[in-house]
Amino acid sequence: MKNIRLVAQVVLKESIRRKDFYVLFVLTAVICLVMGSVTFYHDNQIVRYLKEICLLLIWISTLVIAITMAARQIPVERESRTIFPLLAKPISRTQALLGKFFGCWIAIAAALSAFYIFFGLMAMSKEHSWPLANYFQAVWLHWIMLGVVIAMSLLGSLAFSAVSANVTICFVAVTFILMLGRHLENVAMGVGEPVRSLLQVLFYAMPHLEFFDVRDLVIHDWPPLHWLTCAKATAYGFVYGAFFLVAACLLFRRRPL
Amino acid sequence: MTANIERPQRNHGAHVAELCLPLLLVGGFCLATNLSVWFRNWPGNRISSNFMRIALGDASRLFANQFFVKADAYFHSGFYPSIYDNQQSFKTPHIAEDSGAMKGRNTGDETRFLAPPRNWLEAFGREFYPTVHTHLSEGGANGEERADTVGEILPWLKLSMELDPNHVQTYIVTAYWLRRMGNIDDSEQVLREGLKANPGNPKLLFDLGRLFFHGRHDSIRARNVWEAGLRDINSLPLPERTNDQNSFSREQILAALANLEAAAGNTNRVLSLLQQLKDVSATPDAVQKWIDDYKSGKRE
Amino acid sequence: MHGTTQTENQAPAPPQAKDVVRIEHLRVEFRSRELRQESKVAVKDLSFRVGSGEVFGFLGPNGAGKTTTMNVLLGFVNASSGEAYLFGRNVREPIARQRIGYLPELTYYYKFLNAEELLRFYAGIFNIPRGEVERRLDSVLKLVELEHARKRLIKTYSKGMQQRVGLAQALINNPDLLVLDEPTSGLDPVGRMKVRAIIERLKNEGKTIFFSSHELGEVETVCDRVVILHEGELKEEGSVKGLVDKYQCNLEQVFLKVIGFQPEQL
Repeated sequence: MKNIRLVAQVVLKESIRRKDFYVLFVLTAVICLVMGSVTFYHDNQIVRYLKEICLLLIWISTLVIAITMAARQIPVERESRTIFPLLAKPISRTQALLGKFFGCWIAIAAALSAFYIFFGLMAMSKEHSWPLANYFQAVWLHWIMLGVVIAMSLLGSLAFSAVSANVTICFVAVTFILMLGRHLENVAMGVGEPVRSLLQVLFYAMPHLEFFDVRDLVIHDWPPLHWLTCAKATAYGFVYGAFFLVAACLLFRRRPL
Repeated sequence: MTANIERPQRNHGAHVAELCLPLLLVGGFCLATNLSVWFRNWPGNRISSNFMRIALGDASRLFANQFFVKADAYFHSGFYPSIYDNQQSFKTPHIAEDSGAMKGRNTGDETRFLAPPRNWLEAFGREFYPTVHTHLSEGGANGEERADTVGEILPWLKLSMELDPNHVQTYIVTAYWLRRMGNIDDSEQVLREGLKANPGNPKLLFDLGRLFFHGRHDSIRARNVWEAGLRDINSLPLPERTNDQNSFSREQILAALANLEAAAGNTNRVLSLLQQLKDVSATPDAVQKWIDDYKSGKRE
Repeated sequence: MHGTTQTENQAPAPPQAKDVVRIEHLRVEFRSRELRQESKVAVKDLSFRVGSGEVFGFLGPNGAGKTTTMNVLLGFVNASSGEAYLFGRNVREPIARQRIGYLPELTYYYKFLNAEELLRFYAGIFNIPRGEVERRLDSVLKLVELEHARKRLIKTYSKGMQQRVGLAQALINNPDLLVLDEPTSGLDPVGRMKVRAIIERLKNEGKTIFFSSHELGEVETVCDRVVILHEGELKEEGSVKGLVDKYQCNLEQVFLKVIGFQPEQL
């Protein structure tokens, strides 16, 4: 555990000292502030469009940060040969990989906190309320989802030789799941065999990242989820995250550096 | 003894370049000023103050429609069918149907466009997005929304208007909901913007007249606007004058004018208008009953 | 005349209690991903030992299998067959590396960290107690003359400074075995002298040093024992003095004879 923590700290330091997060945060903030300064028909309390745009930007930014950060970890260490002095120490490859995962996950948690605090303040300035339970659930589920994405990206970094290939494939996969995951069964019913069976297998096998997307509930002021539902979704995310991490560890242990 | 001073050789090429540069600049400037006048008069130019319409080109109408539907989704607090769901009950956006801007073509149960879940994954997934039918004007998601929360649909309607200023229904819907929120001034402004983009449009004129009559209790302006609408319809060529849309608009205006004149006590004018209405109405019997009731004093 | 392998002249020595490095019948084969390409055997049936306190030279021409063998010892590569042990522990166990320090040939470290952070990170992995970490940090940074730059990011360091950071991280845990891969490669004469001085100092402290180098003059001066590899096989093994006496020439010529190099080939 100590080694995992140490590697995670190094990943966190790197993410703080690189500029990616700050650029995306500033961009998101500027766009939202500009959009928020517009008044529609003298009504200062119209806020849902702003919440939607802000949340969309947050989702895009954090996905970019998470996928690119995770995709770079092992390949860049290999290319820059920093992995050799690391693994020449009494640390196993599994510990190194888990350290990378937790480092990325904690870094994205920090980014999410900053984004959502900005979002909350911006929404509160217009609607003068702060539904803490909703916001907490939104952040929590978003963080769990990004954990699955980071694990997926780490696995991809070991499976694919080029970082760019891994990043592209991860983005396409995540976008596909978020947009179509919920509707895959409907689509499957509309096509013939064998595509139908393939789609149904895909429907059951893929991680349903859309479970963690509660933006509509937050934007339109729906009541918060039942906490048991939130717990089930968390467990679901942990299962998939663990699956990708185990696969990544097995791959990392077998491959020569 | 004179000093042998060497003079530097004249670089003719550099001199020529120095002369050509200002000449080119002046020439370019003259050409630009000349051509800009021609360009403004050229029918093919697409100068517009709306950057988004320029950037999106003809796709702006697609986006405008998308944002109109988005407004309807906001009206339902996010509970809305996707392209993979049964859209029978949402063919006509409810915000338009409620406002009377569009004729409703919805069928089926609007609360049940989502079929029952096929498996546990789908059932579990429905916990994470809205699955209950609500209207913002009737309490919204938690049943406790303020009446003016329906204003949340306005940004998308405004965007839709910007992108497709020729889609008249958007102005009517926006104006209607602004009136429902008690914002008469902005409602009038929206209709006027619509008329600026679509001069003489009878639907817009009818709605403006309604605003004056019911919103501002200004019969004179209402009458003027409605009569202007009638004149615009009558001035159209025959096929266009008698198409469904314009026929319906004419009926609406005649009926509204009849009510206005009845409220003012102008009996002859009322009967004249009702007669005109009967001539063009799809339900002349109903109009005849109206005339009879008015004559007998049962209806004012 | 080719050198003879150890197995022809003497039976393998019995395992010593103080063997720091022990390699037994090591074979490393790299399978090609291309369909028609054969797999490459980088190391064939290699066996040798390094005793405690020795300065051990690991020699061979390019492509002999030195780096592959070192990679197996350090756990970067898995052996196809055979075993390798560090301090009696199989190299596959991370704990086997607890008492070693490794200086790679090409020294690259996390550019976004400064020297102090980097050394603290590695010290943490070695489980060095907190109080001891500060003392060791000061000591190694002073040894490699980087005290003045300890708070600067490594990306601002010159090549020489980066190599000194490399040496510092190899020594942070006060290792009993130092594995050096071409330690003087790319260094100026002053740098080489300093590295030699450090090796001598560590030797006097009783540390074991295992290093590969192409600077045979240096090896001859510093090393107690050497092995010479060629084409994945062990060609010669013994003390420097013993080999020089046996072949009646300096170490460089011994090397050339063992690998079968003929001057007329030039």
